[in-house]
Amino acid sequence: MRIGVFICHCGSNIGGTVDCAKVAETASHYPDVAYVDDPMYTCAEPGQAAIEEAIKKERLDGVVVASCTPRMHEPTFRKTVERAGLNPYMFEMANIREHVSWIGKDKEANTNKAAELVLMAVEKLRHNRPLVPKSFDITKKVLIIGGGVAGIQAALDCAEGGVPVILVEREATIGGKMAKLDKTFPTVDCSACILGPKMVDVAQHPLITLYAYSEVEDISGYVGNFNVKIRKKTPYVDWSKCTGCGACTEKCPSKNTPDSFNELMGKTTAITIAFPQAIPKKAVINAPYCRKLQSGKCGVCAKICPTGAINYTMEDEIISEDVGSIIAATGYDLVDWSVYEEYGGGKYPDVITALAYERLLNASGPTGGHIKRPSDGKEPKNIVFIQCVGSRDRSIGRPYCSAFCCMYTAKQAVLTKDHLPDSQSHIFYMDIRAAGKLYDEFTRRAMEEYGTNYIRGRVSAVYPDGNGQYVVMGADTLLGEPIEIKADLVVLSVGIEASAGAPALAEKLRISYDSYGFFMESHVKLKPVETNTAGVFLAGCCQGPKDIPASVAQGSAAAAKVLDLFSHEKLQSNPQIANVDILRCVDCKKCIMCCPFGAIEEVSVRGVNKAQVIETVCQGCGICVATCPQGAIQLSHSTDNQILAEVNALCQS
Amino acid sequence: MPVLKDKELRIVGFLCNWCSYGGADTAGVARATQPTDLRIIRVPCTGRVDPLFVLKALFGGADGVLVSGCHPRDCHYSVGNYYARRRLEVIKRFLPILGIDDRRFEYTWVSASEGQRWQEVVTDFTARIHKLGQAPRLADASPMLKIAELALSSLHALGSNLSAPLDELKAAIKAKLPDLECVIGWQKGYDGAHAVPLFMKTPEDVDKLIWGPLNVMNPAVYLPDFKGRKIGIVVKGCDSRSVVELLQEKLINREDVTIFSLPCEGTLDMGRVNEKLGRYTKIDKVNFDEASVYITADGKEHRFCITEYAQGKCYGCVTPGAVLADVVFGKPVPVSPGKFTPPELAMLDSMSLEERMGFWKAQMDRCIRCYACRNACPMCVCRDYCISDSRNPHWLDQEATPENKLFFQTIHAVHLAGRCTGCGECQRACPVGIPILALRQHIARTVSELFDEYKSGMNQNAVPPLLTYATEEKNIHERDL
Repeated sequence: MRIGVFICHCGSNIGGTVDCAKVAETASHYPDVAYVDDPMYTCAEPGQAAIEEAIKKERLDGVVVASCTPRMHEPTFRKTVERAGLNPYMFEMANIREHVSWIGKDKEANTNKAAELVLMAVEKLRHNRPLVPKSFDITKKVLIIGGGVAGIQAALDCAEGGVPVILVEREATIGGKMAKLDKTFPTVDCSACILGPKMVDVAQHPLITLYAYSEVEDISGYVGNFNVKIRKKTPYVDWSKCTGCGACTEKCPSKNTPDSFNELMGKTTAITIAFPQAIPKKAVINAPYCRKLQSGKCGVCAKICPTGAINYTMEDEIISEDVGSIIAATGYDLVDWSVYEEYGGGKYPDVITALAYERLLNASGPTGGHIKRPSDGKEPKNIVFIQCVGSRDRSIGRPYCSAFCCMYTAKQAVLTKDHLPDSQSHIFYMDIRAAGKLYDEFTRRAMEEYGTNYIRGRVSAVYPDGNGQYVVMGADTLLGEPIEIKADLVVLSVGIEASAGAPALAEKLRISYDSYGFFMESHVKLKPVETNTAGVFLAGCCQGPKDIPASVAQGSAAAAKVLDLFSHEKLQSNPQIANVDILRCVDCKKCIMCCPFGAIEEVSVRGVNKAQVIETVCQGCGICVATCPQGAIQLSHSTDNQILAEVNALCQS
Repeated sequence: MPVLKDKELRIVGFLCNWCSYGGADTAGVARATQPTDLRIIRVPCTGRVDPLFVLKALFGGADGVLVSGCHPRDCHYSVGNYYARRRLEVIKRFLPILGIDDRRFEYTWVSASEGQRWQEVVTDFTARIHKLGQAPRLADASPMLKIAELALSSLHALGSNLSAPLDELKAAIKAKLPDLECVIGWQKGYDGAHAVPLFMKTPEDVDKLIWGPLNVMNPAVYLPDFKGRKIGIVVKGCDSRSVVELLQEKLINREDVTIFSLPCEGTLDMGRVNEKLGRYTKIDKVNFDEASVYITADGKEHRFCITEYAQGKCYGCVTPGAVLADVVFGKPVPVSPGKFTPPELAMLDSMSLEERMGFWKAQMDRCIRCYACRNACPMCVCRDYCISDSRNPHWLDQEATPENKLFFQTIHAVHLAGRCTGCGECQRACPVGIPILALRQHIARTVSELFDEYKSGMNQNAVPPLLTYATEEKNIHERDL
């Protein structure tokens, strides 16, 4: 081999504490090194040009650059050597800035260490092989899991971009949590008025196929070529016939069914349409409460239905769809706040969640938009809001901030004053987090124009006083004194967690999730939409708590990622993947057991079973390589021999 | 390359690309001053780190080795660090048996944002290694030869198993023979004191089958060669564990194999038997009674009481009957439960690190690199591609140093982690009598301690602990670093 070594000064960043010329001189004696140089800035245009020139002039077939971290400029220099006609994988980097020059001032030690890191890179490069990516076809169709506002936005943007969309929603209607909200901060405009048209657009868009009341059963395949099995849960209503007229819901005798859309703030019927603007506007039978399904006696809805849509024997259906990309937008659920005994643990009817309070405020809610106490239907005068119930609380394992409670509480205080001008709202808060456009201004208005009483401090107990009111005992930490308020209604800003079933879905998607069930993005700052599984993107609260603008933005961002992916005719696979030496493979299937991506399959080679890596699925982790005792499976660009060469460069007794 | 004299020690780090390498970068960007000793090798994931890299570095003169990856749950590949945690913990606990101080190896988790933590990790680990000083080299160790005291108390009664219903077994094999390509067992060897493998294809062959304390060889070693063909095998309890392990690893198919078994009361340690016989020209005859074997060589009769001359593994045997068999006769002797440390392992346990290194140096000096240990191992499945022959991947080189020889044993032992059933064939086959089984026994003990008393070869449907993971490990406790 003829290897060229370039020791970058990076101005004084490296040159200040490393004798680059000496490193270059030392490297000139390393095996196969044919050319050395120590440019001032290797990554700058002249630096890159010098590498290209050296490759051509010195007939180099491999290049080592010792400079900054490969996490920064490895892609840059791979392109450089490629321009000069080398395979991009005939290149290695030695990190002599972040790992040497910046972490110590001992020039002798730094110079020696830099020279050793260059030796490791040279020794590895001597075992490198040119690698060529393979290209493969893609199915230009996207699956979006979750029809909340993030999923809706992603679906609309993808469809507008010309990509067919499969939208799967667990509930009978899309809209998610936003559909339950009365108004939205900081503009106090009606949630249904801004979300409703988007929901209708989803229903009407020719490129969007909506599977409501459905769940993702199984996912196989890889970027560009996923296969998804979708379970259409039975609504006991033939939706192709249902017109959403609602006659069934009026006549259903089972009127004591818990109303989950209204956050249990009222009762509904066993056959329901969630809310007037539901998309699709179709009826669903809540089986455990349906007399016909439970006891066989009733059948009123079937009799009344003008289109004969009711079908009590209907069963779940499994549908298979091929897609090229997946967006997860599964949203959030409220933390189980009944663990807070001090707030009554769910026992007191007038201690409710903020989401339930939204339903009380809403004109299409159980009270028709009149604020009434659940216990006696009276209008409350004194309303206490308690912040951070299940957020920022290590004691219940929820140390994170739920991000939007401060703002919606301010909004609810404003709305309360609008509804009940004689009322007084009190908010117990830990800190006011209003870091968004127009957010702090809005909070100020709640305090100053609407006279909301903000009390910095925690509530230690809520208990009934026996006269129909509740005693809220707390501390005002600014005044440093205890405080007691008589409340008619207590609203808890309950924190959020990943929606139920998120970890199970993550397993199916083969993406990571954190200890709270939130899906992990590929990079906290620079890849907040991508996951570590190619072709799977995230939008909305499934990735972490965020408000509507952020969810919508991430929905659009995920759609942009999908459109970017689908703008290519074919996809190229990363060639740094595992591959099997079939002569060595004894078909023990250990690699298949360990692969987290299902990227290894068993194939018959001339009648003998062997492991085979699916190139497009393999993510290049190398777990299989460390598992295979035969050394039959090797990870290109991190082979045993390459790593051994690095070890031996350092340790050869 | 040499380290800077009196200034640095040789410390090698394996860092995953996504978290810890990024964390080291973050520390650099923050100009977080660190000792200069550490040299970092970038790998895609800690799951890629073959534990043998750690050993390779330590054998090659590293004074310390550090592996760092993403925090559990944060792995870029979801689960790579979970696999790594199990493998690296096993290797950490393996080091002392070789005479290497386990403080010289550590693994930890540092995320890409934890620059400050990385600085602390490097600083603390480097300080730890400097406190330990330069690692002792095998080459510099003073050789020490020592022979294990054999435990004479056994978990079950040892004997020569005269009452085993061999005739019934023979009849059963003959009945099954038409359906099978052959049945593997034992027959009288070149003299009455040695048994050799028997491949029964005809009823006459079946008549040659023998049973008793001379059946030392593990016939399971032949099974993978017959994969996909109908075959029978006669097994002792310990051999049956190898069969189970082969089934578990899908190296043979259950439907192809018919397993025959009789209870076993122990087998002879032929090494010690031959030692007592001394030089002789001819074995005249071999007789048995309930407790002993009488071997007459050159006219002189020697008595070998099984309780005294059993193989080391027999004293701790808990499977006198087969774990899995299709055709069984006779009742295995009762086993009294109890802890048992194999004699070779007990000897090593009692030594200091320095003594162990000297012990292995002396033993490996005697190794003639015949690889009989490998050939006798039923779980050694690389066959023609063994790295000892192919040198690819280049784990070993040709030079016959104690380091290379011991490293081969280490590779074998690590490849067998969670798989070795302790049949002891490696050690029995060793022509120079090196107690290499102890290395495998040590790993088996570690695996058992870490993973709910897991024993390989007991259940064909069990998932071997190193081929899986738990998000929360019951017995692996993260160390502060």
